[in-house]
Amino acid sequence: MMSFDQNAFLIIFTASLIAISCGLLGVFMMLRKMSMTGDAISHAVLPGIVIGFFISGSQRGVEVIVGAGLLGIIATMVIDFLRKKAKVQLDASIGITFTLLFAIGIILINLLAYKVDLDQECVLYGEIAYLPIDLWITKAGFSMGPRITWLALLNLLLVITFILLLFKELKLTSFDEGFGLVMGIPAGGINLALMSMVSYTTVSSFEAVGAILVVALLVVPPATAFLWTKNIKSLIQLTVLIGIGISIIGYYMAFWLDSSIAGMIVSVAGLVFLVSAVFNSKKYKFKSGTRLEPEALSS
Amino acid sequence: MIQQVQNPILEIHDLTVSYDQSPVLWNIDLSLPEGKLVGILGPNGAGKSTLIKAIMGLVDPSGGYVRIFDKELDLVRNRISYVPQRESVDWNFPASVLDVVQMGTYGRLGLFKRPGKKEKQLALDCLEKVGMTAFAKRQISELSGGQQQRVFIARALAQESDLYLMDEPFAGVDMATETAIFQLLQEMTQEGKTILVVHHDIHSAMKYFEWIIMLNLHLVASGPKSEVVNEELLRKTYGGKLNLLTKVSDLIRQQEFNPLKN
Repeated sequence: MMSFDQNAFLIIFTASLIAISCGLLGVFMMLRKMSMTGDAISHAVLPGIVIGFFISGSQRGVEVIVGAGLLGIIATMVIDFLRKKAKVQLDASIGITFTLLFAIGIILINLLAYKVDLDQECVLYGEIAYLPIDLWITKAGFSMGPRITWLALLNLLLVITFILLLFKELKLTSFDEGFGLVMGIPAGGINLALMSMVSYTTVSSFEAVGAILVVALLVVPPATAFLWTKNIKSLIQLTVLIGIGISIIGYYMAFWLDSSIAGMIVSVAGLVFLVSAVFNSKKYKFKSGTRLEPEALSS
Repeated sequence: MIQQVQNPILEIHDLTVSYDQSPVLWNIDLSLPEGKLVGILGPNGAGKSTLIKAIMGLVDPSGGYVRIFDKELDLVRNRISYVPQRESVDWNFPASVLDVVQMGTYGRLGLFKRPGKKEKQLALDCLEKVGMTAFAKRQISELSGGQQQRVFIARALAQESDLYLMDEPFAGVDMATETAIFQLLQEMTQEGKTILVVHHDIHSAMKYFEWIIMLNLHLVASGPKSEVVNEELLRKTYGGKLNLLTKVSDLIRQQEFNPLKN
């Protein structure tokens, strides 16, 4: 029973907004070979969310976003410290940092269970299907529509502004950090700014798609697009298109199978990636096959 | 043999750099005149790249200081160009040759500003100087090693600086290109630019460089080529590496390679 009503539109629209925000940041995370740092951040923000929640007494407070942002930056700096100063390998420092911070978050949730209406499941998985009933009501009692859609829209606008402003610097420091430093471009500051944007995007999206699925949206669409193009502008465009495409297909697949929308969106993304990877490896084999043929004939 | 100069363009005083407590550069003390093509020679692990990185503040010294144009590094960053080693970046990065060369102009542009027509034209001119005009639109992942190296040199040229620091810019470059680029560098020094090149091939080093720095953890020599290239100093620089040592002695025995007998 396929249908396209207002709810379907709102859910697909919001999912697309989140997928685009994550994808845009994900492109630069991937180019910096920091995709897994995005994973780490999305989990490490949990204690920040809990503390922010505890202080503000609501899931909607600015304190939650500030707390998450701070924890994201702390996680980035701890990873950097472990790698550069303590000479721990990058993958190990990521694994140590985010599991530790995530565990602290879980303990905090349990300790503050009576005061904080927040559970691990909500943070980990999210539920975008409830979006149409979670409305933003103004003080005058006027309904502005779903709250999470507005959050996602604001998030996307900030991400686009951030990337437009710092596109040249992000490109340069992703390609050749040392060269940027020599020219006096504050590579460290730009890196931290990017990590803060990732933290903010994570926390802005976790209610809808959950922390685990945010990681998938950060990593999978850019990685898929990179299989098809080697041009940074088309890479970004293709990432955006994939983000929208998987949101639409994921929603209807979930509708059809009566299953989790966020889960389905990421499964579709994974499938698109696998098909792309297989197709591109076949293409490569085919190319080298035809190249080898004349040699085989002559010998 | 370490020759100090008056009004140096680059002054390094008592510089010591260590990684994990083990020093890789000891008490380097040298000064360089303006408008020279300077070669940095030394065996692997002698600290040549570290010296260049320390000059640009990419590694923190544990002692000593560097002054460029008689100023602190941070005040003169837009007068310094850098050619890093080709292996220091991932060439799979989604950018065109022109994109990468334009990166050389970013330092002058400053934050938030986008490169425009002027920067594009400058980048194209620099590509022409290294003979890569035909590749401007090519993705960098499709280049050969020598072409990648030329893109990096073009990017440094686009910085329009007065002091150029190049870390093995001729690794993987064919002879014809090497000769062409050395000629380009010589023209630049005639315009008063100073160029420091980490170099491996002693043969071509003797041919092109005017000033030579010999390094092996300590500074062995720094001075005009005719004064510092002799068997004793080369032995001191490459000493202990037997294979290399015989090669060096061979080179010196062959009259045409010995600048002292010319």
